[in-house]
Amino acid sequence: MQKEIKHTFYFSQTPEEVWAYLTKPELMEQWLMPSDFQPVVGYHFRFTNPGGLTFTICEVLEVKPFTDLSYVWKNDWSKTKTPFTSKVNWTLTSIEGGTELLLVHSGFELFKDLTAHNGGWIFLCNKLGELLKASAK
Amino acid sequence: MRTQTLDAFQVIADPSRRHMLQLLSKKSLTINSLAGNFDMSRPAVSKHIKVLYSAGFISITGIGRERHCILKQDGFNELQDFINYFDNFWITKLKKLQTILNNKSK
Repeated sequence: MQKEIKHTFYFSQTPEEVWAYLTKPELMEQWLMPSDFQPVVGYHFRFTNPGGLTFTICEVLEVKPFTDLSYVWKNDWSKTKTPFTSKVNWTLTSIEGGTELLLVHSGFELFKDLTAHNGGWIFLCNKLGELLKASAK
Repeated sequence: MRTQTLDAFQVIADPSRRHMLQLLSKKSLTINSLAGNFDMSRPAVSKHIKVLYSAGFISITGIGRERHCILKQDGFNELQDFINYFDNFWITKLKKLQTILNNKSK
């Protein structure tokens, strides 16, 4: 079962420039969401979801400047009946002519026990596989 | 345990129900044989089955005198929507980032 989301994007900028857009709140806000992010391991921060009424609750797990960034990504457990937690990983690789950016959004806890040898999920995997293939470059 | 209709996430949040779905993904089972896998009272098993049934994760068919539980796709669709939601979310956001950076380099 494919239980993670993976996307690779290419940019003509350097990893340093792309990194800035992943770690500076004023730049993150331009394409992602407003946040009080700081690139410090263990730092708790949150994104303000579209609409401004709910938050994505996060905690920084890993910071390797210009190469690796990861954080916990969960919904607001005090406000939801359906809590979930997951992990967002960013990997930047310097390539000829720019930067390869890999996003892996994984570890959806809800799916934990359902993933192994579960025939009921095969259709899900296939569908997700197609989706990922279609969006991969 | 109340048997109100729960959403797909509440349904699979319970370990016993996840285990039931795992067992049923291998083959359909009678309520009796399904109950045999669990160290809980028969009424408790019935309540879990009712929850799975109400949320569209299983259908129940009478074959002879036995009632069989069969995995059903409806409940799983909601979970798939959840993954798809984030998949689309990131594609949209990353495309936006690409646009911003492309415009910047011009």
